[in-house]
Amino acid sequence: MTAVSPDASRIWTAARGPVLIGVIILFTAVVITLLRGGGEGGSLDPRSYQPEGSHAVAALLERNGVRVEPTDDVSSVEGATLFVTHPALIDPARLADLSRRAAATVLLAPPTGKSPLKVETRDPGCPLAAKAGPATAGGFVYEGEQRCYDSTLVRTGTVTTIGFSSIFTNRDLDEEGNAALALALLGQYDRLVWYLPSAADRSQQKSFTDLIPDGWKFGAWQLGIAAVVIALWRARRLGRVVTEPLPVVVRAAETVEGRARLYRRSHASGHAASVLRQASRDRLAGLLGLPAGEDPSAEIARRTSRSAAGVRTLLYDDDAPVDDRGLVALADELDALENEVRKG
Amino acid sequence: MALTGRAGVLALIGVLVVGLLLPSWQGILLVLAMLAACVAVDLVLAASVRRLTFVRAGATSVRTGELCTVQLTVQNPGRRLRGVLRDAWAPSAGVVSDRVLVDVPARGSRTLSFDLRPVRRGDRVSDRVTVRSVGPLGIAARQGSHVVPWTVRALPPFHSRRHLPPLLERLRELDGRRASLIRGAGTEFDSLRTYVIGDDVRSIDWRASARSSDVVVRTWRPERDRQVTIVLDTARTAAGRVEGALGGLPRLDTSMDAALLLSALASHARDQVDFLAFSHKVRASVPRATLPVLVQAMAPLEAELVEFDARGAVAEVLRRAGRRSLVVLLTSLEPSIEHGLLPVLPALAARHRLLIASVSDPALHEMAAGRGDLESVYAAAAAERTLAERRRLTALLARHGVDVVDALPDELPRALADRYLSLKAAGKL
Repeated sequence: MTAVSPDASRIWTAARGPVLIGVIILFTAVVITLLRGGGEGGSLDPRSYQPEGSHAVAALLERNGVRVEPTDDVSSVEGATLFVTHPALIDPARLADLSRRAAATVLLAPPTGKSPLKVETRDPGCPLAAKAGPATAGGFVYEGEQRCYDSTLVRTGTVTTIGFSSIFTNRDLDEEGNAALALALLGQYDRLVWYLPSAADRSQQKSFTDLIPDGWKFGAWQLGIAAVVIALWRARRLGRVVTEPLPVVVRAAETVEGRARLYRRSHASGHAASVLRQASRDRLAGLLGLPAGEDPSAEIARRTSRSAAGVRTLLYDDDAPVDDRGLVALADELDALENEVRKG
Repeated sequence: MALTGRAGVLALIGVLVVGLLLPSWQGILLVLAMLAACVAVDLVLAASVRRLTFVRAGATSVRTGELCTVQLTVQNPGRRLRGVLRDAWAPSAGVVSDRVLVDVPARGSRTLSFDLRPVRRGDRVSDRVTVRSVGPLGIAARQGSHVVPWTVRALPPFHSRRHLPPLLERLRELDGRRASLIRGAGTEFDSLRTYVIGDDVRSIDWRASARSSDVVVRTWRPERDRQVTIVLDTARTAAGRVEGALGGLPRLDTSMDAALLLSALASHARDQVDFLAFSHKVRASVPRATLPVLVQAMAPLEAELVEFDARGAVAEVLRRAGRRSLVVLLTSLEPSIEHGLLPVLPALAARHRLLIASVSDPALHEMAAGRGDLESVYAAAAAERTLAERRRLTALLARHGVDVVDALPDELPRALADRYLSLKAAGKL
């Protein structure tokens, strides 16, 4: 055995460990995904009855004459309250535009907050939420013109930023003044756009190049420049190309080949046959020691078992029409005759 | 000007700078400006190529296929020169390595050697010497070329010289310098001497023996101081490439080989060799040729696409060969001989003996033996037709008293030399 390339069993022996690990990882991932299925689903969704859902507050608003429009793709917000559950998922410029157009905006836990506080019952401490009274507040702390609940709820102009989501969930809506606070925030106008942004929001889609960081973009430009520099380096020749003065050389047999093609194209089988016969006659005369031009048939008949007439026909009958097939056969016959004479 | 690999590396480092530190157009411009500044510094500080001076020395001629060395001295009057130098030659000059790294100190000089192994006969001319002088940063270089002419003449390889020793052996036998009992070894009366046992009785000179007390024999020696005029046809047919043991060579090269062997042999036999290369006019002419002069004269000859002017060649031969000589015409047996050479043959044959040597093509014989399918048989017919033509020409020339040597390329030099020796032995020069 000299073969060094691995066979099937050796490949399996080497690969089974990694394959087993891969299978285990895949299986674990599938199990975990199945177990966690839908666990986060419907969080703060006005149509969700889950503890983390917000159907209760939506129902309360509806009962108070506020039209709730859950959406993941905002088009019109004029004259309505805009409630954004995940502001971090929206492009800041677009969010600013939306909140400018909306009558009031409520942002839930945007990522600009600092030092999260424990979620517990807190007093409002501001006129804005005085009616609602204590609520289950906490979460991120924000900067703003009016601050409530230890700055976890602030308002600047028409934009209200709230650092906690507990007052909107089905689970905590009935605690303290949560419901009153939620209604006060979301029920200011008779229309509420409940914006549930998702990663698949079409209005937020950007082209691939918009998403590439600048560093990569300009790096690519510089890479192109580097490519040009390298091309310049490689392209510069060390002196000019030297040409070789080639002499005239032609294959000496070229004219003969040309003549052969000419014979063939014009089907000059008769002419070719007579040339072959003449050559054969000359060779035979040489073999038999006869002067050139003399008829060798009689001498051949004497030496071989052939008849003189047959040999003469073979060697001299230039008048008989010859086709292409006949020409090939004739060449072989002439060869055979010469071989016989040589042996005989 | 030329950039180096370092400039490319620098530009690639610039990618990191732009990508990580300055992702903007300004960043790109900055990197470009830095690169341009480095290039400018290098270009300013690199040694001047224009002011370099070069001197060549070394081999001027070499036998084709053998190694020779040409020296190139670089004199640098300015700053220290570092970089690479290329001594460009045509491909057939066979430079082993035409680029070298050079480091010439300021106001100093360096001598570089280049090995050449010419692959083709003829004058191999050097092209330009190009120097790339790299600056101190190694990013950019000044580049320039100089014309430093030099010619190495690649002489004909003379492959058939291996045939020379046995031929000289035969010549010595003819010359009588070796003990030989063959009568007829030479035709020129040399001297009389007394008979010793073993001498051919037919060579006894009875008339002289009668006058002497001893039996006296005549001794003979081959003719000497005859003239051999070699005429090399460098016209159209000489360009034909014929396959031989050394690969496909033009007929011209094979003819040259044969001419060299013949002239080497003839000069050993103390015959005088005149060489003439002729196409439609005289291409080369060497009266009283010796081998070194002959190879020098042959080296630059190339076949030309013109018809061989037989009338002119014969006139030229008649003009220079005063006394009777053997005229060896190295050409090809083509039908054109009939119109070109035959009409002027009587004028030549009247005063000289003509020997025609022709390179025959083995491909022709291969084609003539082709059988089996239609294409091969037609090729065979075409080849037979050509061979018949050559036979007819040979017979025609023989009727005019011309000897013809028609041999395959590998055999022609030897066959021609043999024919010369047999002519000499027979005293027909």
